[in-house]
Amino acid sequence: MEVKVEERESGISGTVEEEKEGLDFPYWSVIRRKYDPDAPFFASGNIERELLSKQVALDLTQDEEYELSNMADAEHGKICCPIAGCGAQLISLEDFEDHYLSRHSASCSVCSRVYPTSRLLNIHISEAHDSFFQAKVARGYAMYECLVEGCGAKMTSYKSRHQHLVDKHKFPDSFEFLKKHHPSKRQRQRRQACSKKGAVDQKMRGVREEHQKREEREDDQKGIEERKGMDVDGTIEDLVSKVSKLSTADSTPSVVSFGRRHTRGLAFVPRNLQREKKQDLLTNKKG
Amino acid sequence: MVQRSCRRKRVRVQRQRATLQQGMAHLGTKVVGESPSLKREPLKFSAGKVAAQRRRQHAVTIGKERREAILRTKRLCRDGVVGDNEDQVDAGMILDEEGAALDAQTNETVGELKSALRIQGKDALRKKLEVLRTLRCLLSKSTVPPVETAVQAGVVPLLVECLSFGSPDEQLLEAAWCLTNIAAGEAEQTKALLPALPLLVAHLGDRSSVPIAEQCAWALGNVAGEGEELRNILIAQGALPALARMMLSDNGSMARTAAWALSNLIKGPHPWAATELIKINGALDAIIRHMKKADDELATEVAWVVVYLTALSNSATSLLVNSDLVQLLVGRLAASECLQLLIPVLRSIGNLVACDSHVADEVLAAGYGTTVLNASDNVMGALVKCLSSDHRVLKKEAAWVLSNIAAGSLAHKQLIYFSDALPLLLHLLSTAPFDIRKEVAYALGNVCVVQSEGSHQPNLILDHLVSLVDRGCLPGFISLVRSPDLEAARLGLQFLEMVMRGLPNGRGPKLVEREDGIDAMERFQFHENEHLRSMANELVDKYFGEDHGHLDED
Repeated sequence: MEVKVEERESGISGTVEEEKEGLDFPYWSVIRRKYDPDAPFFASGNIERELLSKQVALDLTQDEEYELSNMADAEHGKICCPIAGCGAQLISLEDFEDHYLSRHSASCSVCSRVYPTSRLLNIHISEAHDSFFQAKVARGYAMYECLVEGCGAKMTSYKSRHQHLVDKHKFPDSFEFLKKHHPSKRQRQRRQACSKKGAVDQKMRGVREEHQKREEREDDQKGIEERKGMDVDGTIEDLVSKVSKLSTADSTPSVVSFGRRHTRGLAFVPRNLQREKKQDLLTNKKG
Repeated sequence: MVQRSCRRKRVRVQRQRATLQQGMAHLGTKVVGESPSLKREPLKFSAGKVAAQRRRQHAVTIGKERREAILRTKRLCRDGVVGDNEDQVDAGMILDEEGAALDAQTNETVGELKSALRIQGKDALRKKLEVLRTLRCLLSKSTVPPVETAVQAGVVPLLVECLSFGSPDEQLLEAAWCLTNIAAGEAEQTKALLPALPLLVAHLGDRSSVPIAEQCAWALGNVAGEGEELRNILIAQGALPALARMMLSDNGSMARTAAWALSNLIKGPHPWAATELIKINGALDAIIRHMKKADDELATEVAWVVVYLTALSNSATSLLVNSDLVQLLVGRLAASECLQLLIPVLRSIGNLVACDSHVADEVLAAGYGTTVLNASDNVMGALVKCLSSDHRVLKKEAAWVLSNIAAGSLAHKQLIYFSDALPLLLHLLSTAPFDIRKEVAYALGNVCVVQSEGSHQPNLILDHLVSLVDRGCLPGFISLVRSPDLEAARLGLQFLEMVMRGLPNGRGPKLVEREDGIDAMERFQFHENEHLRSMANELVDKYFGEDHGHLDED
């Protein structure tokens, strides 16, 4: 589809999305951006003009001028948190980053997925990493909670919960709660290091300040991880890791049987062991 | 956080005139309402400063209303248009009265004006003048002029009477001055001036004395600054040609006031007034002449006229581009250190460059003249100067101009790529405040891409892209991806797409990952904007999908 540059020349860049027609991805579009004289883009320059020119000889200190120009900005520059369902209003970018990090960056220590609320994180952990959850699902309990807080509905399958979200709460059909996540090698290494330190369900990521240097940021992150490790209750940690081991260990047989019928029960025993056992039994029988 | 120094800065040097009343206020005594003729004490300097200080305190602490007054495109006239007018000072009323006392006084004065207008005879003129002066002082010397009170008391029709043709000059001047300050108030008060408008316009004529014409222009400037409706009325009444003629004047002060009033008059949003202005005989010449020779103050106001001409009117733009003005603008931008002037000059250039390729070419060509080519004299040099300045507005709008230049031909992009602007842009991308970073992102991105006709994907200028990435631009773009601003997030994602698609040997995804780009993109899974969600998902799926991690050699 031909990209028409002329159409957009007078517009403000917000119209770029329209070109998506037929393209899968709205590529970078090179356009000239022209603004009307009363556009918000020019507001700070206009304010500066007024401050500089007022005939009232205000002996403004730099702080006061700064305050004045920020005042006018703040009135129409409120930042709205874009995470679905949040709606928080923040005054500045720093404010927004703080808000985001404290409210929306709950991350899973098992697979490093990040969720905007601790409730969603907990739902994720149950659904993705908890064998008890899966066991209950297998027995037909309605375990899949609706993701919308306050709804309270529970469904018996991932699919039916998805359908509920689409039907009742207008979620887009393409929304995937359990999206495939493929952590990088580095993230996997980091994750292993974390579980060794014993971090539990929630770990806070390091603060990402644009103005801080990378080294500072990494140090900060390690510091936070260490602190979390120390905060953890030893027994809970033990329990969780043991349960995890139970659910993910390869050696769990799919069928467990007791008694002397050895054929089915020993399905996963390695061959050399199997031979020995057979011999024992034979010798036992003999004896 | 940026540290701010508490350096005191005088916003504009004014002819500070102290009166005894200000001095008395300083000493703590209140002088109430009669009209003694008091001698001026030599406490001038310190009393003036104290009054200014009190005004400052009021301005900053009094709150929203006061702030709005400062930020309006109107100008209160405190010192009049005539220089060193010593006798104005002895008019004699209180200046730092406030609230009820001030209101009472205003009401009283308006009452006196009413009576003064009724009396006949020799004394009538003198009396009228005296009362007018009192009123004018109330409206110009008070910290918060009692505009509302005066209007409620019915002062406007009285002032209109004072403006009648044939009235003595001083009377006209005082009346116009009062109206100026009433028009500097809020909407309701300004609208009350409707009956006065035709007279004010009439007094702009070339038969009026200079101070009167200027004062009327000032009043009209305030009225025009109020809103579109009033602007249309003024234009219908013929204010445009009258003010344009005044702008031609050699009298610096008058030209300056007229230019400022014009900038308020043509600011639209309808382009009609701007288009009409440029058609007026001599207007363009005056603009060019002032841009060439005028002092900073006059050049500033004329530059603002140019801002509106270039933003609103295509015919004005073509005329301006074909004249010497572009050269003069570039020259001013390169040479001046005055922020007040730089802002409108930069913006005019920006408006021109935003038009189309041809105009941008003309702007870039300016400076490559016949005289010695000094790199800093042309527009690129001037833009570099703006990018390096301390002023936020200059940096932001300079980056905007560069982004529009970079939207041009390959040659334009290369011009920027090889210039001193590039390292500055890269630096700003990591360190500047958000609004500047966004403009810089546009500029850098545009430098790396050529819009192509007919194919889906734009063509990447690989050399530029690779170089920018090597020079560390990725963290800046990823930071934009994280921002709550939808436009910035979209820009960031689009740039990441280019990097991941364009860099050879799959370097792109690796670099993006190293800078925590995946994390930034995955933030969008719960983002409320569907476009951004799907954009981010597409990128993550495509470049960090199933087989990722296994190919990772690092």
